[in-house]
Amino acid sequence: MAIMKKKKKEPLGELRMDSTADVAFLLLIFFIVTTIFAAEQGLTLVLPGKQKDNTDTAKVKQSNIATLYVDENNFITLDRKSIEINHIKQAISDRLLANPKLVVVLKIHPDADYGLMVACLDELRLANANKVSLKTAEE
Amino acid sequence: MDFGRSTRKDTFIPTSSMGDIAFLLLIFFMVTTIFREETGLPVELPRAEAGEEVNRELVSNIYINKFGQISVDDRLVQVKHITDIFGKKISDNPQLIVAFKTDTNTDFGTVSEVMEELKEVNAVRVFFNNDVESNPGKKY
Repeated sequence: MAIMKKKKKEPLGELRMDSTADVAFLLLIFFIVTTIFAAEQGLTLVLPGKQKDNTDTAKVKQSNIATLYVDENNFITLDRKSIEINHIKQAISDRLLANPKLVVVLKIHPDADYGLMVACLDELRLANANKVSLKTAEE
Repeated sequence: MDFGRSTRKDTFIPTSSMGDIAFLLLIFFMVTTIFREETGLPVELPRAEAGEEVNRELVSNIYINKFGQISVDDRLVQVKHITDIFGKKISDNPQLIVAFKTDTNTDFGTVSEVMEELKEVNAVRVFFNNDVESNPGKKY
Protein backbone atom coordinates (compact mmCIF):
# COMPACT_ATOMS: atom_id res chain seq x y z
CA MET A 1 0.00 0.00 0.00
CA ALA A 2 2.82 2.32 0.70
CA ILE A 3 3.98 2.07 -2.90
CA MET A 4 0.63 3.16 -4.30
CA LYS A 5 0.52 6.21 -2.11
CA LYS A 6 3.91 7.30 -3.36
CA LYS A 7 2.79 7.09 -7.00
CA LYS A 8 -0.22 9.32 -6.50
CA LYS A 9 1.87 12.10 -5.11
CA GLU A 10 4.11 12.38 -8.20
CA PRO A 11 3.50 15.59 -10.19
CA LEU A 12 2.07 15.35 -13.70
CA GLY A 13 4.77 15.15 -16.40
CA GLU A 14 5.23 18.45 -18.22
CA LEU A 15 6.03 18.81 -21.91
CA ARG A 16 9.03 21.04 -22.40
CA MET A 17 8.03 23.94 -24.59
CA ASP A 18 11.18 26.05 -24.52
CA SER A 19 12.67 24.56 -27.67
CA THR A 20 9.60 24.71 -29.90
CA ALA A 21 10.61 28.16 -31.16
CA ASP A 22 14.00 26.81 -32.18
CA VAL A 23 12.38 23.93 -34.01
CA ALA A 24 9.96 26.29 -35.73
CA PHE A 25 12.82 28.52 -36.83
CA LEU A 26 14.78 25.59 -38.15
CA LEU A 27 11.76 24.57 -40.22
CA LEU A 28 11.26 28.13 -41.41
CA ILE A 29 14.90 28.47 -42.47
CA PHE A 30 14.80 25.07 -44.15
CA PHE A 31 11.83 26.05 -46.28
CA ILE A 32 13.20 29.51 -47.07
CA VAL A 33 16.43 27.96 -48.33
CA THR A 34 14.85 25.16 -50.33
CA THR A 35 12.03 27.13 -51.95
CA ILE A 36 12.53 27.79 -55.64
CA PHE A 37 10.05 30.02 -57.36
CA ALA A 38 8.86 28.63 -60.66
CA ALA A 39 11.01 30.35 -63.24
CA GLU A 40 9.69 30.96 -66.71
CA GLN A 41 11.58 29.42 -69.53
CA GLY A 42 11.54 30.41 -73.13
CA LEU A 43 13.38 31.41 -76.24
CA THR A 44 14.46 34.98 -76.78
CA LEU A 45 14.48 36.68 -80.13
CA VAL A 46 15.15 40.23 -81.19
CA LEU A 47 12.88 41.49 -83.92
CA PRO A 48 14.25 43.81 -86.62
CA GLY A 49 12.20 46.81 -85.46
CA LYS A 50 10.83 49.60 -87.56
CA GLN A 51 13.01 50.38 -90.53
CA LYS A 52 13.36 54.04 -91.34
CA ASP A 53 14.98 53.48 -94.68
CA ASN A 54 16.71 50.81 -96.65
CA THR A 55 20.13 51.53 -95.14
CA ASP A 56 19.07 49.75 -91.96
CA THR A 57 18.60 46.45 -93.71
CA ALA A 58 21.57 44.15 -93.87
CA LYS A 59 22.28 42.43 -97.11
CA VAL A 60 23.29 38.80 -96.93
CA LYS A 61 24.81 36.83 -99.76
CA GLN A 62 22.53 34.15 -101.13
CA SER A 63 25.19 31.51 -100.46
CA ASN A 64 25.13 32.32 -96.74
CA ILE A 65 21.41 31.77 -96.37
CA ALA A 66 19.69 28.60 -95.31
CA THR A 67 15.92 28.71 -95.61
CA LEU A 68 13.86 26.59 -93.29
CA TYR A 69 10.29 26.65 -94.49
CA VAL A 70 7.22 25.39 -92.68
CA ASP A 71 4.15 25.21 -94.91
CA GLU A 72 0.43 25.29 -94.08
CA ASN A 73 0.37 21.51 -93.55
CA ASN A 74 3.15 21.72 -90.96
CA PHE A 75 5.55 20.25 -93.46
CA ILE A 76 9.17 21.31 -93.07
CA THR A 77 11.69 21.86 -95.83
CA LEU A 78 15.29 22.99 -95.60
CA ASP A 79 16.33 24.64 -98.86
CA ARG A 80 13.46 22.93 -100.65
CA LYS A 81 14.42 19.52 -99.37
CA SER A 82 12.05 17.81 -97.00
CA ILE A 83 13.40 17.36 -93.46
CA GLU A 84 12.20 15.83 -90.22
CA ILE A 85 12.06 18.06 -87.16
CA ASN A 86 14.58 15.90 -85.26
CA HIS A 87 17.13 16.20 -88.06
CA ILE A 88 17.19 19.99 -88.23
CA LYS A 89 19.74 20.35 -85.45
CA GLN A 90 22.26 18.05 -87.14
CA ALA A 91 21.72 19.54 -90.60
CA ILE A 92 22.15 23.11 -89.40
CA SER A 93 25.18 22.22 -87.25
CA ASP A 94 26.84 20.69 -90.30
CA ARG A 95 26.11 23.71 -92.42
CA LEU A 96 27.33 26.07 -89.73
CA LEU A 97 30.56 24.12 -89.53
CA ALA A 98 31.02 24.46 -93.28
CA ASN A 99 30.03 28.12 -93.29
CA PRO A 100 30.15 30.04 -89.99
CA LYS A 101 28.56 33.08 -91.64
CA LEU A 102 25.37 31.15 -92.21
CA VAL A 103 22.12 33.00 -91.63
CA VAL A 104 19.04 30.88 -91.12
CA VAL A 105 15.78 32.25 -92.42
CA LEU A 106 12.87 30.64 -90.65
CA LYS A 107 9.92 31.09 -92.94
CA ILE A 108 6.58 30.08 -91.53
CA HIS A 109 3.25 29.93 -93.28
CA PRO A 110 0.50 31.80 -91.37
CA ASP A 111 -1.58 28.62 -91.11
CA ALA A 112 1.22 26.57 -89.62
CA ASP A 113 1.12 25.81 -85.91
CA TYR A 114 2.90 28.12 -83.51
CA GLY A 115 4.23 25.07 -81.65
CA LEU A 116 6.12 23.98 -84.72
CA MET A 117 7.68 27.40 -85.10
CA VAL A 118 8.92 27.21 -81.50
CA ALA A 119 10.17 23.66 -82.09
CA CYS A 120 12.15 24.84 -85.14
CA LEU A 121 13.54 27.81 -83.27
CA ASP A 122 14.48 25.46 -80.45
CA GLU A 123 16.35 23.17 -82.84
CA LEU A 124 18.21 26.18 -84.26
CA ARG A 125 19.18 27.27 -80.75
CA LEU A 126 20.41 23.78 -79.95
CA ALA A 127 22.48 23.87 -83.14
CA ASN A 128 23.99 27.19 -81.96
CA ALA A 129 22.64 29.08 -84.93
CA ASN A 130 22.54 32.61 -83.59
CA LYS A 131 21.75 34.47 -86.77
CA VAL A 132 18.12 33.62 -87.23
CA SER A 133 15.62 35.66 -89.15
CA LEU A 134 11.93 34.98 -88.64
CA LYS A 135 9.77 35.54 -91.67
CA THR A 136 6.12 35.02 -92.38
CA ALA A 137 5.38 33.40 -95.71
CA GLU A 138 2.75 35.02 -97.90
CA GLU A 139 -0.49 33.19 -98.19
CA MET B 1 14.14 65.22 3.30
CA ASP B 2 15.35 61.91 2.16
CA PHE B 3 15.00 62.39 -1.60
CA GLY B 4 17.67 59.91 -2.29
CA ARG B 5 15.65 57.15 -0.88
CA SER B 6 15.72 54.27 -3.17
CA THR B 7 12.29 53.29 -4.39
CA ARG B 8 13.54 51.29 -7.35
CA LYS B 9 12.14 47.87 -7.73
CA ASP B 10 13.28 45.12 -9.99
CA THR B 11 11.06 45.67 -13.01
CA PHE B 12 11.15 43.46 -16.02
CA ILE B 13 9.14 43.02 -19.16
CA PRO B 14 8.17 39.43 -19.76
CA THR B 15 9.69 38.46 -23.08
CA SER B 16 8.78 34.85 -23.10
CA SER B 17 5.75 35.42 -25.35
CA MET B 18 7.56 37.57 -27.93
CA GLY B 19 8.12 34.55 -30.10
CA ASP B 20 4.43 33.72 -30.08
CA ILE B 21 3.55 37.27 -31.08
CA ALA B 22 6.10 37.23 -33.88
CA PHE B 23 4.69 33.98 -35.18
CA LEU B 24 1.15 35.24 -35.01
CA LEU B 25 2.17 38.29 -37.03
CA LEU B 26 4.05 36.09 -39.50
CA ILE B 27 1.07 33.82 -39.97
CA PHE B 28 -1.29 36.77 -40.28
CA PHE B 29 0.73 38.33 -43.08
CA MET B 30 1.29 35.00 -44.80
CA VAL B 31 -2.42 34.35 -44.88
CA THR B 32 -3.47 37.83 -45.97
CA THR B 33 -0.81 38.37 -48.65
CA ILE B 34 -2.07 38.12 -52.20
CA PHE B 35 0.51 38.07 -54.93
CA ARG B 36 -0.34 40.16 -57.92
CA GLU B 37 -0.88 37.63 -60.59
CA GLU B 38 -2.08 37.71 -64.14
CA THR B 39 -4.70 35.15 -64.98
CA GLY B 40 -4.35 35.44 -68.72
CA LEU B 41 -5.82 32.71 -70.86
CA PRO B 42 -5.46 28.96 -70.48
CA VAL B 43 -2.73 27.89 -72.86
CA GLU B 44 -0.74 24.78 -73.51
CA LEU B 45 2.77 26.04 -74.02
CA PRO B 46 4.89 24.45 -76.73
CA ARG B 47 7.69 22.15 -75.82
CA ALA B 48 11.30 23.18 -76.31
CA GLU B 49 14.57 22.13 -74.79
CA ALA B 50 16.77 25.18 -75.21
CA GLY B 51 15.55 27.62 -72.65
CA GLU B 52 16.63 30.91 -71.21
CA GLU B 53 15.31 32.76 -68.25
CA VAL B 54 14.62 36.45 -68.25
CA ASN B 55 14.25 39.06 -65.58
CA ARG B 56 10.59 38.99 -64.67
CA GLU B 57 10.47 42.69 -63.97
CA LEU B 58 11.14 43.49 -67.61
CA VAL B 59 8.52 41.12 -68.92
CA SER B 60 5.07 41.93 -70.18
CA ASN B 61 2.90 39.01 -71.23
CA ILE B 62 0.74 38.44 -74.25
CA TYR B 63 -1.50 35.41 -73.96
CA ILE B 64 -2.86 33.92 -77.16
CA ASN B 65 -5.04 30.83 -76.97
CA LYS B 66 -5.71 28.32 -79.70
CA PHE B 67 -8.78 30.22 -80.85
CA GLY B 68 -6.65 33.26 -81.57
CA GLN B 69 -7.94 35.33 -78.66
CA ILE B 70 -5.36 37.75 -77.34
CA SER B 71 -5.09 38.88 -73.74
CA VAL B 72 -2.86 41.62 -72.40
CA ASP B 73 -2.98 42.63 -68.73
CA ASP B 74 -6.04 40.42 -68.26
CA ARG B 75 -7.99 42.19 -70.95
CA LEU B 76 -9.02 40.69 -74.25
CA VAL B 77 -7.66 42.89 -77.00
CA GLN B 78 -7.67 43.09 -80.77
CA VAL B 79 -4.49 42.97 -82.82
CA LYS B 80 -4.92 46.62 -83.81
CA HIS B 81 -4.78 47.71 -80.15
CA ILE B 82 -1.38 46.14 -79.60
CA THR B 83 0.48 49.18 -80.94
CA ASP B 84 -1.24 51.53 -78.49
CA ILE B 85 -0.77 49.28 -75.47
CA PHE B 86 2.83 48.40 -76.15
CA GLY B 87 3.75 51.84 -77.43
CA LYS B 88 2.88 53.12 -73.97
CA LYS B 89 4.69 50.29 -72.24
CA ILE B 90 7.85 50.67 -74.30
CA SER B 91 8.04 54.39 -73.61
CA ASP B 92 7.80 53.64 -69.89
CA ASN B 93 10.43 50.95 -70.09
CA PRO B 94 12.59 50.73 -73.22
CA GLN B 95 14.10 47.49 -71.92
CA LEU B 96 10.73 45.77 -72.09
CA ILE B 97 10.63 42.13 -73.11
CA VAL B 98 7.38 40.92 -74.60
CA ALA B 99 6.65 37.34 -73.61
CA PHE B 100 4.39 35.29 -75.83
CA LYS B 101 2.43 32.76 -73.86
CA THR B 102 0.87 31.17 -76.83
CA ASP B 103 -0.87 27.86 -77.21
CA THR B 104 1.05 25.36 -79.25
CA ASN B 105 -1.92 24.87 -81.61
CA THR B 106 -2.37 28.54 -82.44
CA ASP B 107 -1.90 29.53 -86.06
CA PHE B 108 1.42 31.23 -86.57
CA GLY B 109 -0.36 33.95 -88.54
CA THR B 110 -1.91 35.41 -85.36
CA VAL B 111 1.46 35.54 -83.63
CA SER B 112 2.98 37.03 -86.75
CA GLU B 113 0.37 39.81 -86.86
CA VAL B 114 1.08 40.68 -83.24
CA MET B 115 4.81 40.74 -83.91
CA GLU B 116 4.30 43.09 -86.86
CA GLU B 117 2.47 45.46 -84.52
CA LEU B 118 5.28 45.21 -82.00
CA LYS B 119 7.83 46.06 -84.66
CA GLU B 120 5.86 49.24 -85.36
CA VAL B 121 6.49 50.50 -81.84
CA ASN B 122 10.02 49.09 -81.63
CA ALA B 123 9.16 46.55 -78.97
CA VAL B 124 11.73 44.25 -80.48
CA ARG B 125 12.77 42.02 -77.62
CA VAL B 126 10.43 39.09 -77.64
CA PHE B 127 10.36 35.92 -75.66
CA PHE B 128 8.52 32.73 -76.53
CA ASN B 129 7.53 30.96 -73.36
CA ASN B 130 7.88 27.25 -73.50
CA ASP B 131 7.53 24.33 -71.21
CA VAL B 132 10.38 21.89 -70.83
CA GLU B 133 8.19 19.26 -69.26
CA SER B 134 5.12 19.22 -71.46
CA ASN B 135 4.64 16.30 -73.85
CA PRO B 136 7.83 14.46 -72.91
CA GLY B 137 9.36 12.57 -75.78
CA LYS B 138 7.31 14.37 -78.37
CA LYS B 139 9.15 17.01 -80.31
CA TYR B 140 6.20 19.04 -81.37
